[in-house]
Amino acid sequence: MKTIEWFRSEVSRRATIFAAIILVQALCGLFFVSDIVTDWESLTSREYGHLAIETLATVALAACMFASMVELRQLLTRMAAMDDSLRVSRGDMAVVIESFFERWKLTPSERDVALMVLKGFDNEAISELRGTAQGTVRAQCTKIYAKAGVDGRAQLLSIFMEELLDGGVRPDHLDRDVSPATAGAALSRAPAAP
Amino acid sequence: MHAINENMRTAGGRSGARSIAVWDPLVRLIHWGVALTILLNGAIVEEESNLHEWIGYTAVTLVAVRLVWGLIGPAPARFSAFPPSIAAAVRHIATIMRGEKHVHLSHNPVGALMVYNLWATVLVMGVTGYMMTTTAFFGVDWVENVHEIAFNWLMLSVVLHVGGVVYDTWRSGVPLLPAMIHGRKKVPDDIETI
Repeated sequence: MKTIEWFRSEVSRRATIFAAIILVQALCGLFFVSDIVTDWESLTSREYGHLAIETLATVALAACMFASMVELRQLLTRMAAMDDSLRVSRGDMAVVIESFFERWKLTPSERDVALMVLKGFDNEAISELRGTAQGTVRAQCTKIYAKAGVDGRAQLLSIFMEELLDGGVRPDHLDRDVSPATAGAALSRAPAAP
Repeated sequence: MHAINENMRTAGGRSGARSIAVWDPLVRLIHWGVALTILLNGAIVEEESNLHEWIGYTAVTLVAVRLVWGLIGPAPARFSAFPPSIAAAVRHIATIMRGEKHVHLSHNPVGALMVYNLWATVLVMGVTGYMMTTTAFFGVDWVENVHEIAFNWLMLSVVLHVGGVVYDTWRSGVPLLPAMIHGRKKVPDDIETI
């Protein structure tokens, strides 16, 4: 989560610098345009060449500014898409986790513990957070691993990791009936939709 | 399911409200840039000075960039997100009277009218201001009068604008001032967005 937050603030910092550059270009454009207007007001026939070049430079600057704006829009659109897919994948992950827990028939307190295990808390931290004895947490973990059919923490995590890297629940997985006991052995299998 | 969603939301550091990116950096820089030019020219810089003219042209340039951005920018910045419509504004006021709460991600229809009004007024001030510097219109009464009337109208508009922001923040519970600073609207979970 921290990495994603960092990435987001990095992209938005870049977008801000981009916007500032566009405004600097605009104000430079203002200076050039006012210069052209002044030159035009006091024009003698010999200065046409100078005026033409000045106008050309201003038009080029305006074009660059326009290109920068298109570029910034694309950066912002990508940022918004990232936000959206992040929200969706958070929701998806919650569904995936919930469907596994449902499948394994975890009790409410086992769900809490399992979720904390997935988030990387150790037994000591879990017992502190839940206000229970460490022995209780150990017993709950053992039951969770048994119900999930895995050897321990790392294998439990890998079930969800596989699910994510696989691109989520696929229709062909939904048809296959995997009993909770074999879920650990066949790590890439997803449970049937609850 | 609900428990996990709740869990994930608090894990993201937000509870009871979602924060949605609405104002991109270009919109924000232009907003505060225009506010600064109005403050400088209206209250600090001496009238009829060179600096007064340049600050005025800067305001016009900022508005011009914003108008281009209204055509090619990201969705919330585009005119299509807040079309000028008196009928929509009247409907919006009616929903407020009925006590309904929903949040417009871009400008609300009443705010949109104010936005177009502010831009138009700044442009009128810019054009009449420039005219006063030309030989053709120098010292012409109606030009100076329009510039003066537009300034008074602008001051009234700014007061109404700030009042509207304060009122809408109080009514909808969405802090609008921070949204124009960091770009994200914090919308309470029980309120729909449009």
